[in-house]
Amino acid sequence: MANTKYLVEMKGLHKSYAGGVKPVLQGLDISMCPGDRVVVIGPSGGGKSTLLRVLMGLEDIDKGQLLFQGKNYITTDKYGKTVIDKEIRRNIGMVFQHYTLFPHLNILQNLTLAPIKVRGESKQSAELRARGLLTRFGLEAKEKAYPAHLSGGQKQRVAIARALMLDPKLMLFDEVTSALDPELVAEVEQVIMHLAEQAMPMVIVTHDMHFAKNIASRVIFCAGGVVVEDGPPEQVLGRPKEARTREFIQRVFHIGETEGVGRELSI
Amino acid sequence: MNYQFDLFFIANGLWPLLKGLVVTLELTVAANIIGLTLGFVIALLVMNPNPILRWPFTLFIEFFRCTPALVQIVWFFYCIPIIFDVYIDALTMGILAIGLNLAAFNAEAYRAAIQGVQSNQYDATVALGLSPFQRTVYVVLPQAFRSALPVLVANGIGAFQQTALVAIVALQDLMYMGKILATDTYRPIEVFTVIALIYFAISFPISQLVEYIERRRKAENS
Repeated sequence: MANTKYLVEMKGLHKSYAGGVKPVLQGLDISMCPGDRVVVIGPSGGGKSTLLRVLMGLEDIDKGQLLFQGKNYITTDKYGKTVIDKEIRRNIGMVFQHYTLFPHLNILQNLTLAPIKVRGESKQSAELRARGLLTRFGLEAKEKAYPAHLSGGQKQRVAIARALMLDPKLMLFDEVTSALDPELVAEVEQVIMHLAEQAMPMVIVTHDMHFAKNIASRVIFCAGGVVVEDGPPEQVLGRPKEARTREFIQRVFHIGETEGVGRELSI
Repeated sequence: MNYQFDLFFIANGLWPLLKGLVVTLELTVAANIIGLTLGFVIALLVMNPNPILRWPFTLFIEFFRCTPALVQIVWFFYCIPIIFDVYIDALTMGILAIGLNLAAFNAEAYRAAIQGVQSNQYDATVALGLSPFQRTVYVVLPQAFRSALPVLVANGIGAFQQTALVAIVALQDLMYMGKILATDTYRPIEVFTVIALIYFAISFPISQLVEYIERRRKAENS
């Protein structure tokens, strides 16, 4: 392995949609250490979700470079075509906003499909590990159920368990509680907190500022396709240095309405 | 109306009607085998990114969708032997005409179902490291088959009813035997009523089954 202290390094990432007409990422430089739990916040359309999708290898990039553990993970070739190292991609797991469980497979099969087909694990061993994870997440009674019969919170916990089956070295969470009823948010956030306690590196995109405050070791404010502010949660969520961050934070915490400029969040 | 219904005579005509029904069922089953398999292959071809592979099959689908089935059958029976200078027996020709027609409609059902698989399912398979082949076999096709099933069965029933059209080219199916019997007995009302009831008795339970499957699917996905 190349000698680096970084888990992920993004260098000058550019990405646009509609053939360059709609730029989304405009030169992102982010380095992430193995112990980081990064929460990305920012206005919609600011490139948060695209950042995660690029990290997962779901989107082509226009320009730039992405290293994982010091090795080339995503680059562009001389024709500008995106080159993704699929072996490296297997180190990354992702959970999406809309669950994306496979509706035709039961919960146990959802968890074991990739380990069996991608890694060639035996069915017995994969099922044993799957049952262990389901028990850990309080879902042991649901292994024969189909996704349609689960609540949103249960589906999202299954989706997290499914990603963990492949022993990822980095987990990406893309607004995983946005589609949930308010009373179901906590159970999913608890599972993510639990992973955080076990030192799982993660990048989280969320609109839930209280969750962000609780879980982040580092908060990145992303707007207009660039990193506007990057620092510990006390700084970015509490006393942001940048005016744009301050404005955004005030808006989402509803404190602008009481002339609360300069008022601080207690963190 | 002063008509005296007489269904008793039909007992004498039952044997030829049964023989006709066998031909009708042979046509239906064989056409459905062609429709289900060839339709699937054509669906994959029309979704091919290569336009040279795609357009002949798009044309194939549009030809069968945009011309009357009756014209297709007549065309097959009268034109193919002349154009290609081959003799193909009537039953095979009927199977081909109805089977290819069904394949065109089923191809559209398969295509819609495959394209209907949500794009976030693709994202999930990439995130889990599945190859494009594994994604197709384990995730996309099983979901597509499920959602296509009601349409495929409905198309299959449609093909069963379309087989009645082959009577026009003297293939001795249920409809043809009925016409003969009606002429022989001067009892068209009874004969055609019985024939309609036979088609109905076979189609209705299957269409009910499809509705049941669809209801269950809706309940599952809610």
